Amino acid sequence: MLIEANHLALELDGISILKDVSLHMQKGEIYGLLGPNGAGKSTTIALLLGLYRADKGSLTHFSGQDAEFVSIRQRIGVMPEFAGFYEWMSAREYLIWYAGFYGGSQSPPDSLLKRVGLSQTANKPIVQFSRGMKQRLALARALVHGPELLILDEPTNGLDPRGRREIHDLLIDLANEDKVGILLCTHLLDDVERLCTRIGIIDNGKTVLEDDLEHLLRDAGKPRYRIHMTNIPEGHLLPPLVRLLEWDGSWWSFEIDLPHGRDIGKVWEDLLVHGWSFDEIQVESNSLEARYLELTGSDKPDQQEKAA
Amino acid sequence: MNASSLIAKKERSALLQNQRGLAWLLAYAGILSAFALLLISNQELSLLDNAQVVYMMAGTVTAAGALIAVIMGSDAYAGERERGTLVPLLTAPISTNELLMGKAIGLAGAWGIMYLLALPYLWAVGAGGQNLGQAIFYLGLFGTPVVLGFGYLAMALSARSGSVMSSLLTSLIVLLFSASPLLLGPGLRNSAVGRALDAINPFSGALNTYDAVIIDSDPFMSQLGRLVLVLLWLGIMFGVARLSARRPAIR
Repeated sequence: MLIEANHLALELDGISILKDVSLHMQKGEIYGLLGPNGAGKSTTIALLLGLYRADKGSLTHFSGQDAEFVSIRQRIGVMPEFAGFYEWMSAREYLIWYAGFYGGSQSPPDSLLKRVGLSQTANKPIVQFSRGMKQRLALARALVHGPELLILDEPTNGLDPRGRREIHDLLIDLANEDKVGILLCTHLLDDVERLCTRIGIIDNGKTVLEDDLEHLLRDAGKPRYRIHMTNIPEGHLLPPLVRLLEWDGSWWSFEIDLPHGRDIGKVWEDLLVHGWSFDEIQVESNSLEARYLELTGSDKPDQQEKAA
Repeated sequence: MNASSLIAKKERSALLQNQRGLAWLLAYAGILSAFALLLISNQELSLLDNAQVVYMMAGTVTAAGALIAVIMGSDAYAGERERGTLVPLLTAPISTNELLMGKAIGLAGAWGIMYLLALPYLWAVGAGGQNLGQAIFYLGLFGTPVVLGFGYLAMALSARSGSVMSSLLTSLIVLLFSASPLLLGPGLRNSAVGRALDAINPFSGALNTYDAVIIDSDPFMSQLGRLVLVLLWLGIMFGVARLSARRPAIR
């Protein structure tokens, strides 16, 4: 287990920032840490890196092999949300200097810069870099010592679609080939759906969900339909695979457990056979986004209380 | 190369390669140039005794050095935080102690450069006169702890405060307060309050020593009390910086 965090709580300046955060991450896994602004994601990351100490809960890294944060950090690469550098240095100079903290670079800085797409600008002063180039350099910095765990906070911020895709491919390679565990903190649900194998959602300082993405999408992914009825049969007989969810007077919501390869048209035919007649069908959104919105709808009562 | 040396190396390159660092050194040299020119060319000041002129130059070097040290110290943590470079340092496998040591060595190196830059100015105003060698020696011995002490105080505030501006302003207020007894007239300085302030103020300690050894040619032994004062100041300020930097503010 790369990270095992259970029921972490943290108070800063008298304000409860984290109340009950849990996170479990395995080697080679890409874990998406999601949550609205101010939910506690960045504080959770800071806590995982030892920048804060939890008031409650337990936290172990690398199955408890290392207890000191100075040695734990030797095995972690971090890409903070705001990528800052000493801008008078060149990208190459900076990487060589930063690798010194880890006893030197695991792979030659030039090959690392090539890997993140900065080989052409390796000797340029960082002050001339665009935001997207700095994001790439921040990723190279995180990889400079060949970490076992990568913690990335909004890694594709400021990247164009091609750059975003390149970084995605690099992350997938790192997870699949090098078995690097990646903790990805992002607001971009597309990135999560494309990259992550497991997700955790934090809302108002609490973990409200931690699950395998495939499992979550399989559950969330059953299509839901709203059907406007013109005639409802007596006894409400429904065909197999169709489950009635709710009724608001004229619109009926159904969940249909459609087996792979089965045509949805057959289901509508079955409904008609069972005496249900309708004039309109709507497909309801039930993606990761819908699940996320459903889980993060709290009004942050504690913070409101504090502000009052 | 260990972590502290790496940080110190970065601090040195920030001073000598970065435009901002070079601008501060230029400003420092500008202050010394203007003052030296005034001492040599001003009709009234040029009539001063040579030892008096060297004493004034040594005091100016200490004051300008403390000012630059305060500016650099204020930037040490808060500036890194504002530029987004603090988190990469804190998430690297280095202890907060090593980080502070690197910063402290960097500041000492900067004072070393400022000290070397001051030598030609001291020579220019004091060559051929008495006690130039004494001035250079005592500037190193007393000026170093005073300047670094103010730098470490600023560093301590920088580690805890939210911005460079707030740590800089607070450090400048302390620096001005330390310099305030010097603004008192001779009568007030000889009063009980003036003497008490002089006795505990490291800035006064250094200047009174310059006065005693450069102008009055007093022996080293008579300055031991003041040496203890400035060394205590340095030790206490380093301790405060160490405590403060143990858990620097990250947001």
